[in-house]
Amino acid sequence: MRAETRVKTLVVVATLGMSMLTAYAAGQGASKGLASPESFNGIADTNARSAAIFTELGKVLTHPRCVNCHPAGDMPRQGDAQRLHQPPVARGADGHGTAAMRCNSCHKDANFEPGRIPGHHEWHLAPREMAWEGKTVAEICVQIKDPARNGGRKVEDLIDHISKDTLVGWAWAPGYGRAPAPGTQAEAGALVEAWAKTGAACPG
Amino acid sequence: MTTLGITINGQVHAPTEVRDDLSMNDFLREYLGMTGTKFGCGAAQCLSCVVIVDEPDGTCHTNPTCVTSAASFHGKTIRTVEGHAKNGELSPLQKAFIRHFAFQCGYCTAGFLNEGQVLLEQLAKTPVPRAGLEERIAEALDGHLCRCTGYFKYHEAVLDVILSDAKRYLMQEPRG
Amino acid sequence: MRTSRREFMKWVSAGGISLSLSHLAAAEPVAFPARETLPGRGKLNPAIGGAGRVDGVAKVTGSKLYASDFRANDLPGWPAKTSHAILVRAPDATHVYLGMDLARLSGALKPTVIVTAADLARINIRVPAYYEGDLFCPVGKTPLYMGQPVALLIFEQFDTYDRARIALRDGTFVQFGEETGPIVMPNYAAYRFTRVAGATPDAPDVYSPVLAGWVTPGRTQASALPVWSSTAHKNEAGYEKAAVHGDKIRAEIAASESSALVLDRTFDTQSVDPMFMEPECGLGWYNAKDKALELVLGVQSPYEAAESIAFLLGETKAPFKPSAINAQFAYVGGGFGGRDHTPFIFYVTLAAIFFPDRPVRLAHDRYQQFQAGIKRHAIKMRSRMSVDRASGKITAFAADHVLDGGGLANFSANVATCAATAAIGIYDVPKVDVTTVAEHTRGVTAGSMRGYGSLQTMTALEVLIDEAALALKLDPIDFRRRNALKQDGRTMTGNPYIVSVRSLEVLDKLEQHPIWQQRAAEKARAASGILVGTGVACVTKDYGTGGDSSNGRVELSPDGRIAIFCDHVEMGNGIGTALANRVALHLGSIADEVAVSQVGVFDAMELVTSGDCYTMDQKTQDKAEKDPRWVPSISSATSASIGAHVGTHAAAEAARVIFRFGLWPAALALWNIGPRDPRAKDFAKAQWKDGQLTMAGLPSLPLDKLAAAAHARNLVTGAVAHGFSRWAWARARFPINGEQYRAEIDGLALRRGAGKFTRINRASVLFPPTDNNRMGTAYTAACGATVRVEIEKATGVLRIAKAYTAFECGQALVPEVVLGQAQGGFAMGVGYALLETLPPFEGGPGNGQWNLGQYLVARGSDLSLRDVEIELMPPLTPDELPKGMAEVVMIPIVPALLNAIQDAIGHRFAALPVTQAMLKGALA
Repeated sequence: MRAETRVKTLVVVATLGMSMLTAYAAGQGASKGLASPESFNGIADTNARSAAIFTELGKVLTHPRCVNCHPAGDMPRQGDAQRLHQPPVARGADGHGTAAMRCNSCHKDANFEPGRIPGHHEWHLAPREMAWEGKTVAEICVQIKDPARNGGRKVEDLIDHISKDTLVGWAWAPGYGRAPAPGTQAEAGALVEAWAKTGAACPG
Repeated sequence: MTTLGITINGQVHAPTEVRDDLSMNDFLREYLGMTGTKFGCGAAQCLSCVVIVDEPDGTCHTNPTCVTSAASFHGKTIRTVEGHAKNGELSPLQKAFIRHFAFQCGYCTAGFLNEGQVLLEQLAKTPVPRAGLEERIAEALDGHLCRCTGYFKYHEAVLDVILSDAKRYLMQEPRG
Repeated sequence: MRTSRREFMKWVSAGGISLSLSHLAAAEPVAFPARETLPGRGKLNPAIGGAGRVDGVAKVTGSKLYASDFRANDLPGWPAKTSHAILVRAPDATHVYLGMDLARLSGALKPTVIVTAADLARINIRVPAYYEGDLFCPVGKTPLYMGQPVALLIFEQFDTYDRARIALRDGTFVQFGEETGPIVMPNYAAYRFTRVAGATPDAPDVYSPVLAGWVTPGRTQASALPVWSSTAHKNEAGYEKAAVHGDKIRAEIAASESSALVLDRTFDTQSVDPMFMEPECGLGWYNAKDKALELVLGVQSPYEAAESIAFLLGETKAPFKPSAINAQFAYVGGGFGGRDHTPFIFYVTLAAIFFPDRPVRLAHDRYQQFQAGIKRHAIKMRSRMSVDRASGKITAFAADHVLDGGGLANFSANVATCAATAAIGIYDVPKVDVTTVAEHTRGVTAGSMRGYGSLQTMTALEVLIDEAALALKLDPIDFRRRNALKQDGRTMTGNPYIVSVRSLEVLDKLEQHPIWQQRAAEKARAASGILVGTGVACVTKDYGTGGDSSNGRVELSPDGRIAIFCDHVEMGNGIGTALANRVALHLGSIADEVAVSQVGVFDAMELVTSGDCYTMDQKTQDKAEKDPRWVPSISSATSASIGAHVGTHAAAEAARVIFRFGLWPAALALWNIGPRDPRAKDFAKAQWKDGQLTMAGLPSLPLDKLAAAAHARNLVTGAVAHGFSRWAWARARFPINGEQYRAEIDGLALRRGAGKFTRINRASVLFPPTDNNRMGTAYTAACGATVRVEIEKATGVLRIAKAYTAFECGQALVPEVVLGQAQGGFAMGVGYALLETLPPFEGGPGNGQWNLGQYLVARGSDLSLRDVEIELMPPLTPDELPKGMAEVVMIPIVPALLNAIQDAIGHRFAALPVTQAMLKGALA
């Protein structure tokens, strides 16, 4: 009954035709990659190429890791199923929650894996005008270029925001139970850069 | 391993090493034996595990312990349910919870007590008008789950404490 | 540095810093019984003057109280260190179980002990019949149900355990092979309840379960569900008779379609979790040298748990067989039925037995609690009802219920019969035919949960009733009133209730309430984009199980202090305070020591039992009762809303005996009233006022003086009593002081002065007849609700604008607690109607990945707290006995909400829950 002997017998049994049929770690699967900017070189028309690159980037922007905290209302969503955040929280005056419930009460500087909870020292909601929830990639594109709705950023600033911002970067290392955003932050950054350099056209 | 030094209910705990992946809830319950702080869901959904964190600037807030590492509390000053009564005298909120029969099984009580206490202290610093009081209480307590009571009596108890010391917690109505 | 709690304390002390907590600094930990006896002698007792609960102070100060609060070093005499166990469960029940991926737990994460099915077989562990099924799925078999345990892993150190549980949580640690599909098992139970009333209300029934007994169809191998037809093969004569009547009722309903209103509807309810706040846990220590097994558990059924554990280990091989088991039961952090007969206790026991000399703790986290905790039955129902258009009277009702019982039988059979016999709610229907079957499935085990089948069937009924009223263009309350069962009417099993029937009064209250009165006006003035609707429902629910026991022990000290011991459990229901109040009616003062969940303190009665009180025949009972120590059952679970009327009964009777044969003769002596003085028999005229016994024309006597006199004169100062109810209390005569004392108890032991408790043999006993087992229930409490909802057209967001609930429970022992339970029932009902749901199989909680957040229970913001009014009706008469109300209060709000939704949006939902998304869909 002590572990040593038990382990042996079980290993013998377990190697007989073992197959792992159940993987319940929702969202643990490897994310599909992002196409590189070069892969769009075949599109001759610059605008069309630019729009196609943005469409590829759209796989990231519309991913639950991004949309959940760019919600349409005042409450974030959570999880790959994008349920309304529980307990119910609201953005509050500064996007960091209300007096009763601040984001950083639970969300600390980093993910805490035993609690399956994501973390980052700047954890907060995107401003209301940056809501992506329920929008098409084309609509997000127009929005993201609009300084009134992108935090006063120029298109070039978006390259840094998406490729270097560590809160954005969390989307690729979201911790247990959550699917990471497609590709890597660097790949997403390369797409933004290529999109900006090709005139930052939006899909039709 | 990370260093954790912490003050709990006024008592200083000298720095010690804890595992990075040790939760604050387990630090309190398994290491210190302080089981007044409950474990309910382990996912910051029921908030039965919250403690009060006292910030250096004099403000305070609650913090779940089940989804936060013990190490993240390094240098902090916290209060738990075991620390509300002073010299055997229950706090006004504890008395109100009893008087109102606010809880039944009592498992969520520590969380509601800490949350209610933080609200009282926030109101003492920044009183609110009487008109919005019930909403403010509802907002403060809404993160906490209770399965026995339906919340009614918890809200009534907090309201009672505030109204019975209205000068302290409420903005004074302009005289007309 | 890996510090255990002890080491940590030592280290902190060595650093020259005082310990942080006074209760840790205490030289000796407080003994478990002392901790669990509340409020404790000399402590603040909020229950005095009705200013709180006996457990109030302990609960607001974070005292160690719940099973989950205890570690080995909290318990005097135990080794200091606690080890920790993980119960590994199968997240799949359609593939062959192959073993665990133990390679994942190598090196520092290695468990010290692993316990599997093979180990249980090796030491000859027995599973009690009630829990039949493998405690662990053996390698090579397909799990019986999702979440079936496969092994216990025991870790000596907390830190190893803590890291290991993270390493194996993803669901791939348990490995599976070939797909087999789910294990097919026979149904847990199938019954048919058929009643045909006589031609007039006074005439005897033509056929009823009370007349003919309960019947079950023959097993037909070719079909998964029973074949109910009267012409099917393999049926016994008894069943066939019921089926002939039943089939006829159904034929009549079908034939009445041209003249009467006939509705034929389905209604499906979902599986939900009781979601009590404290996940199940326990602590065990097997002291191998002394062969003593120590356990700390938290369940609703302590006596049953202790017995089942003793059976489990009854034939184990040395050195695994304990010679003594000391199971101690803690306050529980919510139960709602889900801690009644829970198999979890076996795994705590096994963890202790397989790691001798080391205290081991087993605790579910919330994912595991969802994966394995007892669930509410999902029920699929089809109901047919025929209503005479002219009179608005229901003439016949037929229904078929299929319950998903999940992986183990548990209480499925009982829930099925309770659901079926509740299927006509508050109504008097002359012809009823209800079939019910509880199936085994691969889902998580379903069992007892607040509402116990009635919630499901009465929800379906009250929605159907609403539809019928609308179709007949009758006012929904008027339609209910026309059909409501009156005081002397017969239930669908054919017996009348033996308690007050007050549904008509409840209907009156609902009708008069502004929510109902103003329903049209409120609908008319709905804001733009908002749909407003009002709904109503009224139900009545049984309490008790028809075989309920109560044990109570009361002791009075010479200084007038009262101590109460009770076998029922404090799970939030306030039983401790109710006991104190009920005993105070007889002894004039609130106890300052109340101990609940007790098992061993009633031994002085030396009770014995045999047979099954629910199924035994009269002859067997008549023979057994000749032994004056025999009772039909010894102790009951705290469930079925029996806390008030059963749980407190024996203690109240014990107190009554102490008064009658202790305090009263002491008072007579102090008053100098001799035995021949006619006033010596006036004990019923004496009254307690402010702790003093008062009697017209005589000086008032304080309790402490009386207690001292009773002790000095060696009068009765303590009593242990036992009561048994089978829809009526057993009654017996006991010779005390040369008198034949009659009471509604069947066991008694007395203490005189400071002496020992000694058994009093009953001189005669009258147990309720075994035929009472044919009743569905004879105890009932009514509750009604009306609710107005506002639904946002664009989003489907529903808001409760106003709600009102009225209920009755006889005499409320602690009115504030009763009101609190009603409020909690309301909240749970709202959650059940609008939020809570668990998929039954794959993707459901058996996969071990469910938690709150995905599972939504009602929060304060879901309840419109300031717009809910709950009325506790006064007892019908001042001396009306307490009635159980803990379950009924959650029921009517569910159909009332559905009826309100129908009124608002014109769509009638036939399944639960009705979520915002569904409302949005229906409005699209």
